[in-house]
Amino acid sequence: MTDILPAITTTAPRAELTAPTQRELMAELGVRPRSRLLAKLPGWAQLFVTNKKGMLGLIILAIFVILALLAPLITPYDPYRRAGKPHVQPGVEHFLGTSRQGKDNFSQLLEGSRSSLTVGFIAGFSATLIGLAVGISAGYFGGKTDEVLTFFVNVSLVLPALPLIIVLASFIEEASPTVIGLVLALTGWGWSARTIRTQTLALKSREFVLAAELMGEKKWRIIVREILPNMSSFVVGGFVLATIYGILAEAALEFIGLGSPNSVTWGTMLYWAMRAQALQTGAWFEIWPPAIAIMLTGAALVMVNFAVDEITNPQLAATRRIGPIRRFLRRRNRSVDFV
Amino acid sequence: MAFLLRRLGFYFGAFFVAITLNFLIPRLMPGDPATRILLSLRGKLRPDQIDAIRKTYGFDGSLWEQYLQYLWRLAHFDFGISTVNFPEPTASLLFYAAGWTLFLVGAATALSFGIGITMGIWSAWRRGGFFDTFFTPINVMLNAFTPAVVALLLWYAFTMQWAIFPLGRAHEMNLTPAFNLETVLSVAWHAVLPVASIVIVSFGAWHLGMRNTMINLLNEDFVLLAKAKGLSDRRIRNRYVARNAILPQITSLALSIGYVLGGAFITEVVFNYPGLGKFTLNAIQTRDYSFIQAQLILLTMSVLIANLASDVLNVILDPRLRSLGRA
Repeated sequence: MTDILPAITTTAPRAELTAPTQRELMAELGVRPRSRLLAKLPGWAQLFVTNKKGMLGLIILAIFVILALLAPLITPYDPYRRAGKPHVQPGVEHFLGTSRQGKDNFSQLLEGSRSSLTVGFIAGFSATLIGLAVGISAGYFGGKTDEVLTFFVNVSLVLPALPLIIVLASFIEEASPTVIGLVLALTGWGWSARTIRTQTLALKSREFVLAAELMGEKKWRIIVREILPNMSSFVVGGFVLATIYGILAEAALEFIGLGSPNSVTWGTMLYWAMRAQALQTGAWFEIWPPAIAIMLTGAALVMVNFAVDEITNPQLAATRRIGPIRRFLRRRNRSVDFV
Repeated sequence: MAFLLRRLGFYFGAFFVAITLNFLIPRLMPGDPATRILLSLRGKLRPDQIDAIRKTYGFDGSLWEQYLQYLWRLAHFDFGISTVNFPEPTASLLFYAAGWTLFLVGAATALSFGIGITMGIWSAWRRGGFFDTFFTPINVMLNAFTPAVVALLLWYAFTMQWAIFPLGRAHEMNLTPAFNLETVLSVAWHAVLPVASIVIVSFGAWHLGMRNTMINLLNEDFVLLAKAKGLSDRRIRNRYVARNAILPQITSLALSIGYVLGGAFITEVVFNYPGLGKFTLNAIQTRDYSFIQAQLILLTMSVLIANLASDVLNVILDPRLRSLGRA
């Protein structure tokens, strides 16, 4: 972002105005000077850390992850057992009230963040792993391997995932959150496989890969040492997307009553609230906490993905800073010309 | 033509993978549906009666024989008999439900596509402007909201709190569906909230997709040339950039139909809409396996047909693909 600064040429400068110093301009634009710590990070990580949306998403996500990790220590009641009368209003005793079955909503929410995030991350991680393996082998080995793998990638993209999951889940019967995560991974790896294949194809013809090949490096070594490090942002992007898909699909599946009703996830909380007609009876505190948690997590992951997108495709963010620059200079009676 | 024929071959392959999965899933799981139906009957049946039920549901003979029999039935649109509405064949239930879903999802998809694309064009054209910086993050965020939550929210606000829209169903209960103004109005009125809940979670994706493709295209040389020729902004935006940027969106429009149908499941449950989602949920609760399997086949077919349609459209719209197909 500092390299667009020299591109500003000021026209018709007035004598009484001093040119803005670099420091003033940076302060006005909200660009902080890079710290020494930041400079040690790889380039894409530096861009990520300075990306407001990405960092906000990451912070929200971190809060949820910390709450999930600490859940067994900080839940006031056992989320799986009756803790009070049914549908107690939120108060000192029950921070978010109780469900129809008398379970403490706050404890369930914390426990739910544990299982919902686990499902999401399992789904995201496994889907990325499958996508990575399939995408890289299809792109790098080419020929028949590519044809066969691309066929399956396309099939997985074309088949409607949720109905397939419904068929699977209805035959598994009371699938545990882990099983649901794996099922979601099996249906959700197509997108990352496709982007990674394209990326591999692009990297394959680059000089450093050719050089490694001429030097007689082993194929797996080229893949791991030369190709993989160059698509970390694509892998992260794919992982984030697959995780969002995992969390949302898990909530949807549990919500319509597939999966195990005995487990405590955000989806099952909604399922029980729906069955208890919580909204009709005025028990908003049974529905909103899991609903807002799902929305916040989804939004946080989307923001992270947004940041990753802007890093992989700088054009999407290229003119982000022009608006403030223009306003700043207009206030100082200068017009701007962008080259 | 060669291109389309190749794609057609692919869709046949994909369809076979889908129906084979559909065939294998229940057979790989412990306990077959026939046994489960028997368990739910809790009655003591003679072995020959059990065999008869197995035969009805296609669970007798070797796996290969079962597969051939399964394909033979599929070819005749014979999805078996619904266990819930017993004598009713699954197919007729399925097509009734699919009709409502098609209407709901069709309307929602058309709306969200239109809104998203228009917003995408605007925010890409003036990127960094107010519209872009304000709406882009909001729409992306909306996209992450699960349909379950949005549907519940709308349902709660507009039917419980303010009682503006009907509580559910596709039309008034005492109405005998006929093609007249009263029916059309009633159906449209009942569809407002379900359609809105699908549109809200899906138009952000169109917005973002269109915006990103447009931004990439705006840096191409032909745009510079068009500007140098002194063409009006409007013409450059609509004829040059948007027209090219919409091609990939059409492909994902077809691809997304599978996802939107998934979203409709939740919406239909919340609004008690008599579509595939509600019927499938009923089928799950009552273990009506023939319906569950039939809906997968139906949805797969519709997604594949939509994909094929998008390929054909692409060939028509993009001359480059035509020559590529010939080569």
